[in-house]
Amino acid sequence: MKINKFAKLGAVAMLSAVFLAACGSKDSSSKQVLNWDETAELPTMDLSKATDRVSFDALNNTNEGLYRLGKDSKIEPGIATKTTVANDGLKYTFNLRKDAKWSNGDKVTAKDFVYSWQRTVKPSTGSQYAYLFSGIQNADDITAGKKSASTLGVKAEGNYKLVVTLDKRVPYFKLLMGFPSFYPQSQKAVDKYGSKYGTASKYMVYNGPFELTKWTGSNLSWTLKKNNDYWDKKNVKLSAINYKVNKSNSTGYNLYQSGKLDMTYLNSEQAKQLADSKELVIRHGASTFYLEYNQTKKEFQNKKIRQALSLVINRKQFTGKVLGDGSTVAKGLVASDMAKHNGKDFADDAYVKDATANDVTKAKKLWSEGLKELGVKELSFALLSDDTDKAKDSTEFLQSQIEENLAGAKVSVSNVPFKTRLDRSVKGNFDVVVTAWSADFADPISFLDLLTSDNSYNNGKWKNAEYDKLIESSKSTNAGNTTKRWNDLVQAHKVLMEDQGISPLYQQANATMLKSKVKGVIYNAAGVNYNFKDAYIK
Amino acid sequence: MEEKLKLGPENFEALPKAEELDNEKIAAPSLTFVQDAWRRLKMNKGALISFIIIVLMIIISFGSTPFINHDSLVKSAPKYANLPAKIPGVPINGLNGKLKVSGEWVDEYKQNNVPDNKYFVLGTDYLGHSLAERIIYGTKISLIVALVATFFDLTLGVAYGIVSGWRGGRVDNVMQRIIEIISSIPSLVIVVLMLIVLKPGMTSIIAAIAISSWTTMARMIRAETLQLKSQEYVLAARTLGESPWKIAWKHLVPNLSSIIIIQTMYTIPTAIFFEAFLSFIGIGISAPQTSLGVLLNDGQKNFQFLPYQMWYPAIVLCVLMIAFNLLGDGLRDAFDPKTRR
Amino acid sequence: MRKYLLKRVFYMILTLFLVATITFFLMKLMPGTPYSNQQKMTAQQIQIMNEQYGLNKPMWMQYLIYLGGMLHGDLGVSFQFSNQPVSYLIASRIGASAQLGIQAMIFGVVLGIVIGSIAAVNKNTWIDTLCTILSIIGKSVPNFVLAVLLQFYIALKLGWFPIADWGGFSYTVLPTIALGVGPLAETARFIRTGMVDVLNSDYIELAKAKGMSRYGIVWHHALRNSLIPLVTLIGPYTVALMTGSMVIENIFSIPGIGEQFVKSILTNDYPTIMGVTMLFSAGLVAVILLTDIIYGIIDPRIRLSGSGD
Repeated sequence: MKINKFAKLGAVAMLSAVFLAACGSKDSSSKQVLNWDETAELPTMDLSKATDRVSFDALNNTNEGLYRLGKDSKIEPGIATKTTVANDGLKYTFNLRKDAKWSNGDKVTAKDFVYSWQRTVKPSTGSQYAYLFSGIQNADDITAGKKSASTLGVKAEGNYKLVVTLDKRVPYFKLLMGFPSFYPQSQKAVDKYGSKYGTASKYMVYNGPFELTKWTGSNLSWTLKKNNDYWDKKNVKLSAINYKVNKSNSTGYNLYQSGKLDMTYLNSEQAKQLADSKELVIRHGASTFYLEYNQTKKEFQNKKIRQALSLVINRKQFTGKVLGDGSTVAKGLVASDMAKHNGKDFADDAYVKDATANDVTKAKKLWSEGLKELGVKELSFALLSDDTDKAKDSTEFLQSQIEENLAGAKVSVSNVPFKTRLDRSVKGNFDVVVTAWSADFADPISFLDLLTSDNSYNNGKWKNAEYDKLIESSKSTNAGNTTKRWNDLVQAHKVLMEDQGISPLYQQANATMLKSKVKGVIYNAAGVNYNFKDAYIK
Repeated sequence: MEEKLKLGPENFEALPKAEELDNEKIAAPSLTFVQDAWRRLKMNKGALISFIIIVLMIIISFGSTPFINHDSLVKSAPKYANLPAKIPGVPINGLNGKLKVSGEWVDEYKQNNVPDNKYFVLGTDYLGHSLAERIIYGTKISLIVALVATFFDLTLGVAYGIVSGWRGGRVDNVMQRIIEIISSIPSLVIVVLMLIVLKPGMTSIIAAIAISSWTTMARMIRAETLQLKSQEYVLAARTLGESPWKIAWKHLVPNLSSIIIIQTMYTIPTAIFFEAFLSFIGIGISAPQTSLGVLLNDGQKNFQFLPYQMWYPAIVLCVLMIAFNLLGDGLRDAFDPKTRR
Repeated sequence: MRKYLLKRVFYMILTLFLVATITFFLMKLMPGTPYSNQQKMTAQQIQIMNEQYGLNKPMWMQYLIYLGGMLHGDLGVSFQFSNQPVSYLIASRIGASAQLGIQAMIFGVVLGIVIGSIAAVNKNTWIDTLCTILSIIGKSVPNFVLAVLLQFYIALKLGWFPIADWGGFSYTVLPTIALGVGPLAETARFIRTGMVDVLNSDYIELAKAKGMSRYGIVWHHALRNSLIPLVTLIGPYTVALMTGSMVIENIFSIPGIGEQFVKSILTNDYPTIMGVTMLFSAGLVAVILLTDIIYGIIDPRIRLSGSGD
């Protein structure tokens, strides 16, 4: 009986959504409705527990933190009106606006921030993003269960002043404030809804440009409706955004063609075929795919072997012909167009040409020298990767490039589910693995931290004393000096590339189709992707 | 089916004395069960053609091994990626290197600067592999999967079903519970677990099929055996003290043959589809190997733009299936004693 | 009869218990953690989280806790949908899957019986050949290929039905066809073969001799007898529909349970894997029991007690 009811309710909700959307497109007064494609369900709206892109996108548009990240991750005003940073960079004082309200009518105060942060850091909450708070006073001890959450270095002075104390300098601290994990939460709402908090659109309060509606917690469609309590509502032009989950790209594109969607994600082949379309929009991500070598094995400790494997790959053909979705040849480990200093992109500044070049002759030479050094004639190894379509295409291409050009190389590919791949990587149960890393915030350190000798993510166990020293200095001695810190990081990246500690492959992009009438959608590569505050339909 | 025999005196000759006494003996030419079945199969045209097609497919796909193997599959030529079919001397759009792009036929070979003397009979895939080669190889893999599933069906499934149905009682009960448990664990879980123990690819697919494919056969055979058990001729054989083994072999198996053959013909597509399904959800055979399932799955993703990439493997799969089905029908008619006149 | 039923229900529960046990321990062998952000968590964080979720306890203890919860109808809380009880996830999604499955089953079996009967009655004529070819083609095309074709040609090009999504009846038509064609083809072939056998048998000759009409024979004798083997196929059909739903729901963007299941396996969402496996198993075991009962009713030669003891 119950089941039936749910099914009916769902059907009614969806029908009305379709009906409304249909009306919206005809009625000129309310045509500011966007129909958006999504590739996965919305798993949670509890920002302490969110881990995925879909949740962060929804949270970013229905809630607001101290800042809002605009175009190119530029910091734009959110709840904070004025920020003072102490000279040593260890203390931030934020003055909050007084006209910010929750959707239940309560005012957004500094206490909401304190409550939210403490809740996320507290181990009993089980937040998977608590590590982002590292650097705020006592955060690491609290996550490890050694101190109580109330000792976290964040205090409310009155209702509209927030003071944050840091243990060490965090040069990218302001960027973090635009990430949903640092948004406020209403204690009243959390207490009221208990375990249901954030599991359906009605069990949640909002303080952002939009409110979430029609989300039951597990359905495949939901709507963001304009929030009339939002402090800056006069600048919000869209009246609603209808999300629809389509896990098949073909379905998404069919719906797009029939006008049911204003945006859809494309797979590689679709993107290649639609390359000339005016509506094709490539969304670059701040994630890099690279080859990680298991350097506890003798053969991959050999630098020449690593170099040969890197040089043999025609990355241009790889991104252009195989992936074809707008992904670009990686210039290094750190994604391009993510972090800039004095107008220079990090990836250009720290570029080592040989590390990602394609030179088959040289590769062959290095390979045979490498084999000689190892004293073997043949080298068989497994290439581990995920089992997504893109990952399979990639390994098949890499396998063919290596086996065709390097005599005595035998590559077996194993495409396993993501979790299995991670598990094998962590346990060192691999030869060469295609790894991807994406940045949560737009700073090179989010990539470079990975490869320090003692980092637990350094699965290949590449070790380099000079690299460790440079990273360390960027965090301590030079943490306060932007230019020196930058130079440390650039230097470290060059060390990594010259030793071919890893082999960067490509920087990921998503190909999408976007109707040309949709304007003002803000997309950022790192952290949260979409910001609809300024979006409108022409 | 009616056969008219023209008999003249020369067809008759006197019997030797010793045999003359044996009046009970049936006078038809002594044919073994298999010989008889073969004779009937030959009369069924559809079945015979199907048989030839299957044999041809087996010969081509397995005979291609020296030419299409790991070394040739691993080679890629992305510069020739996604070209449509081009057959020398065939000026039909779609088979001459032209592809319909937003309503117009475009010569893809010219656009991609492919040399004039380069032909891909069935076009190429996203890495510039010849689709024809891949279909042949894929057919081989699909046939292997089918053979493995059939093997487990015929051995494990049939034996299990007969024993379970024949013995009845407690044995039957335990055996049925085991089947229930095996078939109640979704095969997907089994496959995922296989991937942990084994490498993804052929071995885990075969293992998954070995575990789960035969249960349907066993259940059908059991149900039929239950029915046959109470038939008069079985009762008679039992009363006469025939051993259970002999009854199973002489009475049950021939009477079950129609079910067995139909079920086998059901298993083969199921197995091939199972493999295709695995590749659809992303746990199939691993590169550079390929199967019809993988090709179909790749094809369906690009169907809007490159329909040929789905049509060609789909056609091959359909021909294979139709052949198996018609042969199955033919075999059933040939083996089934009930339809024998 | 009642005794027999009680016995069967007891066995059902035993089967489900064994399935739960086997799945539980097999699942624990799956590599990795259930945390979606595992890649960015340190070993220490993972350990703390494991303590939070009781995943650091000895396996037998987790097993007992799970079984205890299941007895109370508590299937645990999903990992991928945080704080969402698995029972809610299943309840909110099973409607679509069940509707689709039942529609496809009815569509397939009813139409299959009709086509199969027509073919058998008109044996060795062009009608028979046409039916055979159609059913063979139906059987030869994987349902995901068919789904793509239907979506592209019928929905996008002709615009007869919605492309995807889930709403009124019109949304279910294409997925039902895609899912039901397999059972349809299978049923048609089974009915045809079965009925041809039956039509050749002596009692049909007798009925004919008695002057019974052609359709009377088909209806009273042939159909009833050729339905028997079909009943055993309902179990496999159910499995096929469950498996098929994973693919069809994906293509037609239907909020069903099959698709959810694939995702839960790929993300190590243990409670959801368990919950859905148990649901599938319970459904299948119930179908098998039902099959046996129907079998007894249709074919009086098999007495239920006969297979019991």
